[in-house]
Amino acid sequence: MTEGSEQRPGSQTPEAPEAAQWLADIAAAPDAAALQELRVRLIGKKGEITQRLKELGKLDPDQRREQGQRINVLKQSVESAIEARKAELERRKLDEQLASERVDVTLPGTRPTEGGLHLLTLVTNRLLDVFRSLGYEVVTGPELETDHYNFSALNFPPDHPARDTQDTFWTTDGRLLRTHTSPMQVRYMEAHKPPFKLVVPGKVFRNEAVDVTHEAQFHQLEALVVGERITMADLRGAINEMAQALIGPGTKTRLQPTYFPFVEPGAEFAIWWTNPRSGREEWLELGGCGMVHPKVFEAVGYEGVTGFAFGFGIERLALVPYAIPDIRYFYQGDMRVLEQFRGIL
Amino acid sequence: MKLPLSWLQTFFDQPLPDVDALVEIMDGLGLAVENVTEHPGAPAGVVVVDVLEVEPIEGSDYLKRTLVTDGSSTHQVVCGAPVVTVGMRTALALPGTRLPAAGGGDGLEVGQREMLGVASNGMLCSPRELGLYDHAGGLITFGQDAPLGADLSTLWGSETIIEVELTPNRADAFSLLGVARDVAAKLGVPYKHPAQGLDSGEPGGGDGLAIQIDDEAGCPRFTLRGIRGVKVLPSPLWLQRRLGAIGLRPRNNLIDVTNFVTFELGQPSHAYDLAKLGGGVIQVRRARPGETLELLTEEVLELDPADLLIATPGADGQSVAIGLAGVMGGRHDSVSDATTDVALEVANFDPVTVRRTAQRHKLVTDARTRFERGVDPNLQLLASARAATLIAEVSGGTVDRSVSVTGCDITRPAVAFRPSRVQFLMDFDVPLADQRAYLERLGCQVVERGDDDWLVTPPSWRYDMSIEEDVVEEVARLHGYEHIGETVPDMHFVPSAADPIHRELKVRLAAAGLQETVSYVFTGEDELRRANAPAPHVFLKEPQGVERGVLRTALYPGLLAAAAGNRRLPALGLFEVGRVFLEDELERLALLTTGPRAGSGWGAELKGDFYSFKGILEATAALVGAELVMAPVGDPATDAPFLHPGVAAAVSWNGRHVGHAGRLHPEVAARYELGEVYVAELALPLEGRVIRFEEINRQPYAERDLAIIAPDTVSFAALKALCADAAGPLLLTLEPFDVYQGGRLEAGTRSVALRFRFRAENRALTDAEVDALMQNVIRSVKGAGYDVRA
Repeated sequence: MTEGSEQRPGSQTPEAPEAAQWLADIAAAPDAAALQELRVRLIGKKGEITQRLKELGKLDPDQRREQGQRINVLKQSVESAIEARKAELERRKLDEQLASERVDVTLPGTRPTEGGLHLLTLVTNRLLDVFRSLGYEVVTGPELETDHYNFSALNFPPDHPARDTQDTFWTTDGRLLRTHTSPMQVRYMEAHKPPFKLVVPGKVFRNEAVDVTHEAQFHQLEALVVGERITMADLRGAINEMAQALIGPGTKTRLQPTYFPFVEPGAEFAIWWTNPRSGREEWLELGGCGMVHPKVFEAVGYEGVTGFAFGFGIERLALVPYAIPDIRYFYQGDMRVLEQFRGIL
Repeated sequence: MKLPLSWLQTFFDQPLPDVDALVEIMDGLGLAVENVTEHPGAPAGVVVVDVLEVEPIEGSDYLKRTLVTDGSSTHQVVCGAPVVTVGMRTALALPGTRLPAAGGGDGLEVGQREMLGVASNGMLCSPRELGLYDHAGGLITFGQDAPLGADLSTLWGSETIIEVELTPNRADAFSLLGVARDVAAKLGVPYKHPAQGLDSGEPGGGDGLAIQIDDEAGCPRFTLRGIRGVKVLPSPLWLQRRLGAIGLRPRNNLIDVTNFVTFELGQPSHAYDLAKLGGGVIQVRRARPGETLELLTEEVLELDPADLLIATPGADGQSVAIGLAGVMGGRHDSVSDATTDVALEVANFDPVTVRRTAQRHKLVTDARTRFERGVDPNLQLLASARAATLIAEVSGGTVDRSVSVTGCDITRPAVAFRPSRVQFLMDFDVPLADQRAYLERLGCQVVERGDDDWLVTPPSWRYDMSIEEDVVEEVARLHGYEHIGETVPDMHFVPSAADPIHRELKVRLAAAGLQETVSYVFTGEDELRRANAPAPHVFLKEPQGVERGVLRTALYPGLLAAAAGNRRLPALGLFEVGRVFLEDELERLALLTTGPRAGSGWGAELKGDFYSFKGILEATAALVGAELVMAPVGDPATDAPFLHPGVAAAVSWNGRHVGHAGRLHPEVAARYELGEVYVAELALPLEGRVIRFEEINRQPYAERDLAIIAPDTVSFAALKALCADAAGPLLLTLEPFDVYQGGRLEAGTRSVALRFRFRAENRALTDAEVDALMQNVIRSVKGAGYDVRA
């Protein structure tokens, strides 16, 4: 910007004697209407300053230039005073509005009723996340089963005491409530060809006395992996991967021989963990496992494959970490229990 | 099964590992240890005494004054036991003795007392009072082997007891012998068979005893042996101690020996009073129609023709049932104090026959448990020799040289075994010599036929080794499962991403403010009736009570029960995903709300009415782009009897009828003491929609409002259909913005204000066009007999 090419407003004092009063009036305008009135009076089409500019034509050129410059400066200072006052009035209005809109942020909000998932669903979801991330497919199956799928096809011989361990709920029409999720092993294998990795969550039923740790209805999760050569080490590896994902790195697994008719060799498994309640490191005995029994493969027409299966109760994984004293809480629908597990959607 | 450590030790010459190590070994063998307990012995201050005198005390029905001696001094003791006789050898707790309390605690200190004016210097004790075993029905009694005056605590010490939970396949381990055999195999040390080297007698008759087997399949082996001149007495201390330690009550020297051998060898046996056997004959046969049997427990069984019986000829020569084979003896034949000659039965019965017989009569006995799992079929002669020898030893009788026997030893089928399968299945290597040694230690015969081709013959006691994998497990078990590695299978499998557990739906419902619940699948017929739910289709045979006798036919009754339980809450929203059991097993979703759906307590709240309930379903559908339509129910009383007939909707989801939603019938609500409740019962799955992108239409739309006044029985859906039809294809949306009833409106009518939006695909509509369309609408509405207000 070249010096003198433009006059800076205020660099010259407007010489109109009324100027100081006008500026004071503008600064004191009480509202937008009064301000508008001043604008019209001073710089409107017939405003006083406009009028003076119009009268410049009567002056000689030298005077005209000089007066013109002076009046323009005056006009500019009036305009900017009006703008400033306008902005101030708007700010004040906003301040008033804001003040009037103040709320008490400490009062409770108008909230929709909260929902939540059942703790057993939360635990199941967590487990299924783990298994999905390990490449397993999730399937479910019927709860009302036949002897064939629940027992015979799983190598429970008829009239064998192994059936007593299952405490079956029989129906009057000769069916039964499944005693484990294992019938889905057979159903899935009947419909699919190996290799595959699957998990089956679901309700199971045992007709045994109900107490704080035993329910007639509970949930299991079952895993089945079948391929050309699946080994017992793959089984232990899978259990270990699950344990790592659930509990964190560095956990250990333990397998001990036991008997389930549908696996051979069979084992029960435990994982080494720090009990979150007691803070003690201990074995958490989880469930049963083993290599799929050849008779089970025979029942579904598989040849030349091996596989492993493992299964465990879901309630235990919900009861132990939260130190829930009574398994029956899960099925009583008491909001005082249910609502405690919200927040883990 | 309880295993007293000192008893287990008798099977070994060298000391067993310490308890912790032993427990680890047993767990590692699959003999799962449940717990280890220290069973206390007799308390200090108890002495062995003989009863010298017994006389009733005047003024008491049951108290007696007794005089007992400890050999050096006599004591006067008041005793309340039902049976106390002169000559009985029993235990006296001297004053100052602290007796254990049942179930722990400080117990009772015996003092010098006076009862009914008679001084009592101590207390004659029952086994329970001494804390030895659970019997309080009489005084503990000893034989002559318990020295008079001895301090009982030196004779009956404490015992470490390992309790194992046996799996049903390990019939072979259901005894001290069986566990010792497994432990010895693992440790690689020899074990001693208690019956080894005993003379098993001369098979054949000549002893006056005879066996008649009518059913060889049911009874493959039967041995009967006489022991003459026995004297029925309390068992010697060692025998009482063994039985007490495993939780059995010692009775007399005959019964105690049979029980002892059962647990020692795993072979049940039965001692008959020979005098009560008709002609010394034992018969094994199926029951006759209408036949009955009185058990030892005095219960009389109505027998089934499939029941396998032990019988003997009666006085008239007719065969009389005296026992349920392999399950329980009868009263007829039992030994008594007067018995002098004993016929000892040691037999083997078909597992299935025993199991079915016992199941029919709902009898669970130790013998049943053993026979249905399988008793070593070659053990009977040896066990008979062992039991007979012990009976003679403790009762003073003489064992017959001759023994009646049916059936013969068996050899189990050999299993073809490839030692390489151990590596194949277990993924660890066990040297061939070790594999062979493991199998031989377990009693198998191993023949190497060729390279990787063995024949393994399991011992007679193993019922669970019939295929190659069974042999692999035995090798692995002895080698130790701790050698199993951790690997990840290399497999090509692409899992389906399906969501069979309806996880997304559950999350949406929870986010919509509903709490998930899980109810029981079993319920009661009454409960279903109470909820106006369909009648049950599936009935349980042996339910846990009538209120759990049938399988649910709907989910919402479970939510009603939960709502009733949470009645104190002002607002509640619940849902459940589960299965119901009608003609078929069906997956369902049920929802319930009661009370306001939103609120602050001090300000505004969202009323819990039909529309806020419907809104939950609409939002749930909208989140997956599904089309949800609710229409009036044709006949609510039949189609949805649980709903208020005026607030009931049939729900369709993506065009498929999935169930009903509405207000719970007030009659049902009253039964649950609930107020205004909204419920829905819907079939799963509730799937989303395949999404197809549509290009944005940038043409402006024209809006017109119209209020229609029509009878309030004309549904919004009907008005909408009428208007949409008249408005033609340029109609974009048609939504209600006000519904008004009452005021200046005629009763039974209502005003529904509708907002129409019109839009053309590729041009702006003119006002004239839109007005013309609205005129069509108004004509149609009026034609239908309704009023309009523009």
